[in-house]
Amino acid sequence: MEALSGLIVLFAQPQLLLLVGLGTFAGIYIGAIPGLSVTMAVSILISFTFSWDVLPAIALMIGIYMGGVYGGSRTAILLNIPGAPSAIATALDGYPMAKRGEAGVAIGVTTVMSFIGGFVGIAVLALAAPLVSDFALSFQPRDYMLLAILGILLVGSLSQGSLTKGIFAGALGIAIGSVGRDPLTFAERFTFDFQILEGGISFIAVMIGMFGVSEALIQMHHVDKRAMRQKIDRVVPSLATVRKHLPLSLQTSTIGVIVGALPGTGGDIAALMAYDHAKRVTRNPEPPFGEGAMEGLVAPETANNAAVGGAFIPMMTLGIPGDAVTAIMIGALFIHGLNPGPMLMIDKPDMFWFIVGCLVAANVFMLIFGLTGIRLFARIVEMPRGVLIPLILLLSIVGAYAVNNSIADVYWMLGFGVLGYFMRHYGYPLGPVILGVILSRLLDDNWRRAIISERGDLGLFFAGILSSPLSLALFASVILIFVSQTPLWTRAKARLFPNAQRNP
Amino acid sequence: MKRMLAGALALALTATAAVAEYPEKEIQGIIQWGAGGSTDTVMRSVTPHAEKVLGGVIVLQNMTGAVGAIALNYVAGQPADGYTLLMGAENPMLYKVMGLGDKDYGEFIPISILARGTAVLVARPDTPFDDYAEMISYVKAHPGEVKFGSTGPGGVPSVINAMIGAVEGELEVTRVPYDGDGPALTALQGGAIDVMPAVLGAAIEPIRAGKMKVLAIMDSQPNAKLPDAPYVTQFNAGYETYLPWGPFFGVFVRKGTPDEAVRKLTEAYAKGAQHPDFVKLMNDRGFTLMGISGKEAEDFLAKWQQGTAWLLHDAGLTKASPEEFGIARPGN
Amino acid sequence: MERIDPEHHDGTSDATPGGEPDRRRPGELGFAAFLLLTSLFLLVSAWGIENPFGPNGLSSPRALPVATTATMAVAATIILARTARLPRDASETFARDILPARALLFVGLLAGYALLLRPVGFLPTSAIFLAVAIRYLERRSWGWTLAVSLGALLAIWLVFRIVFTVLMPAGIVPEAEIIQFFRALAKGAVG
Repeated sequence: MEALSGLIVLFAQPQLLLLVGLGTFAGIYIGAIPGLSVTMAVSILISFTFSWDVLPAIALMIGIYMGGVYGGSRTAILLNIPGAPSAIATALDGYPMAKRGEAGVAIGVTTVMSFIGGFVGIAVLALAAPLVSDFALSFQPRDYMLLAILGILLVGSLSQGSLTKGIFAGALGIAIGSVGRDPLTFAERFTFDFQILEGGISFIAVMIGMFGVSEALIQMHHVDKRAMRQKIDRVVPSLATVRKHLPLSLQTSTIGVIVGALPGTGGDIAALMAYDHAKRVTRNPEPPFGEGAMEGLVAPETANNAAVGGAFIPMMTLGIPGDAVTAIMIGALFIHGLNPGPMLMIDKPDMFWFIVGCLVAANVFMLIFGLTGIRLFARIVEMPRGVLIPLILLLSIVGAYAVNNSIADVYWMLGFGVLGYFMRHYGYPLGPVILGVILSRLLDDNWRRAIISERGDLGLFFAGILSSPLSLALFASVILIFVSQTPLWTRAKARLFPNAQRNP
Repeated sequence: MKRMLAGALALALTATAAVAEYPEKEIQGIIQWGAGGSTDTVMRSVTPHAEKVLGGVIVLQNMTGAVGAIALNYVAGQPADGYTLLMGAENPMLYKVMGLGDKDYGEFIPISILARGTAVLVARPDTPFDDYAEMISYVKAHPGEVKFGSTGPGGVPSVINAMIGAVEGELEVTRVPYDGDGPALTALQGGAIDVMPAVLGAAIEPIRAGKMKVLAIMDSQPNAKLPDAPYVTQFNAGYETYLPWGPFFGVFVRKGTPDEAVRKLTEAYAKGAQHPDFVKLMNDRGFTLMGISGKEAEDFLAKWQQGTAWLLHDAGLTKASPEEFGIARPGN
Repeated sequence: MERIDPEHHDGTSDATPGGEPDRRRPGELGFAAFLLLTSLFLLVSAWGIENPFGPNGLSSPRALPVATTATMAVAATIILARTARLPRDASETFARDILPARALLFVGLLAGYALLLRPVGFLPTSAIFLAVAIRYLERRSWGWTLAVSLGALLAIWLVFRIVFTVLMPAGIVPEAEIIQFFRALAKGAVG
């Protein structure tokens, strides 16, 4: 009954629905521009919607959130520049498709898959929120640490070519992530007594530099070549295509919901983990991963949109943010006189169902806008490169500055852009660098918490892992994945199963 | 047409020049903490009301890093013309002793100390102790077993921990560090830690829902939000020396800012903070409204700094003695 | 698995590498040496991180930086050794295939931008940057170049400065006063 009243409010008031639609539309563009982030947009909206009622404000924010997470894939596919960190994995296979002129297909699949992922996330939120939030809360520091290690092992699947270079890049990323004052003790790390380094290096700045600036510089080699004409007549993927990828998309959506629901991890990690999962379970994709495999789009895009619903789970059930955007939304609810917390669902169940309704509407709008507005985006890529490249550079600069209103971030962004340029030329993968930066704090803080919790005793630490089913499962996956990536295993497998088909 | 435009332009220019009084352009408000945090929420909810009184635009920006020192140094480096405001919490008063920087609010004029928070000691519902006294005796009987949440040195939990140490003697507990109240309270609900000194506002909703229990309110009187909860001086009068104590939020401008700007801003924030919406928000989150400025605010800051800096110093949590910066021991 | 662009091995295929697996590209050895030196420098720096409030044990702020920079150093050593053993790719030169004049010029332009941004301000610096870059790459008339670059700059400025209130360094342009003027004008028009 309450469910109905919350949902009815939304659908009975066209202006609320309109705001969700408007938000979703704006979100797609905000997400697509590297440097304009959903987090930024939502925090601006707090001031903007200050005098509004709470419902329209939330409707607009949810639209932007859903649209923004999806929009990051656009530039990843068309320009090889992920618009948001959660679209990094999308570039790996999306851009090769665009290079073949298949951007339309890529965007179509991405849109439908984002819709499916978003829907799974919402369904879990609506049906099993308390269950999932209990599960997410049960993660102890050592579990977060194991999760981070699991994430670090993705270096293996993100490093095509030399694994050693991938490991170097991943370690570099972790080191970049630890620059600045350590938040737990305020010890200075890699600051060399420079004040500007104390705040650390924003990982968005690293991402924009490594992907945006280095891509623009690489394009200098090709300025004279004409841009690829994109086929955009057949955008909506066939039912057979969708059905073929449905099993994978459900698996990766599950990854997305859970990682999204964990406080402290979000769509970016979810997307990378999903990509890795797809690589593991897909046998002989055609074309292979890294060259435009459809599965390489399905996995990250379902996962990052599923993570949206996931992020709302701890927020709605406990008042605990699932990621940066939901943290700001909690602030917005406070400002509008609500008290988000464990009592919200009991005191104001209609609010919960209103948010679920907004998410559903935003998801549908995303599908509609996603499949219709492609022509304009494709035009962007067909712009003369001599105009496009300087514009990308300028947007990268403004975007890096906007993250924290810091000129230091602009310098870092440019520096990492040049470094990334050389790394690409010499065969060092860039994905692991970003992965390292994203996971650095998760790994560092939780490793230290886990050890401190056991009073510095490594024996107790391992005993703790063995005593908890969750830790044990995570630990086993870490071992399994680690072993399967070492050359020893490949050799052993070849000897044990001489007839087994080689899995690339 | 062209002439008309030019005329309008000239008219408008002379009009603005003639009126030329503060504020004649938009004002930057630099928030020391990230979007979604409590400082951010407080500032974003009071500023629109202040804007109306002021008749100007205040553009809010978050500038995070180094416990807010980056933002403080940025504002200190801008001209003292009243067009850059610093919006922060209590942390800068400890920068000097924590070795985080050589500037604090001493370089600024307090426009308004908006509100003060109250700390509360909470625990997981299934811990074997139900109030402060039981916790102390349990900790003494089981040294090292109880896990206390803490945050970086200088944060609210570290000050409360130092206070407990000063009154009860050093407790043998395991302190697990988190990077803020929020993550630590999440960990408390997940069972990673047992006890956490937190700001009332951050804990009030989970307390209401029974997700955590109050061991003691760190105050010398009962709290209106939790009238039945015990307060710490009921257990040990030794806390009277240090209480009331709490984090606070304030708006500041650089010293040397023209008096007219200071006066107008002070008036704007004083009136803005009385808006019913803001009062309700502060009340819901368990903050005590203060709305003080000028000399009163400066005295408050000085007293706060004395007490807290020495408390931390005596607990061995500082890098430099408060004496080096001319911060006298309280009572002297 | 390496996917190589036949013309230039430049890694445009994706975010992953564009190097050659069995040859050493011009400058690659120097780059590997640079990375090793950086890793060693960072390792030394990591070792110097002190825990201000406790021992430098497993749970100290030093632990992870030391582990990760040591990993970097080991990986960089292996890479350097492997790179040194590879035969040089004689068909390529540094100036043509790695850092052609055009790319170098842009690196220089960006460095200039970074230097000018704070003193001169966002609008003039960006206008010059866009105009020079577009003129250089497209070689069209100055009128066209200026129209495109100023139009694009205005759009970016409106989105970031007005909609998203990102305050880029104003430098020599009295941005706030200009905005206030338009605000007063709008208010005047309404009132």
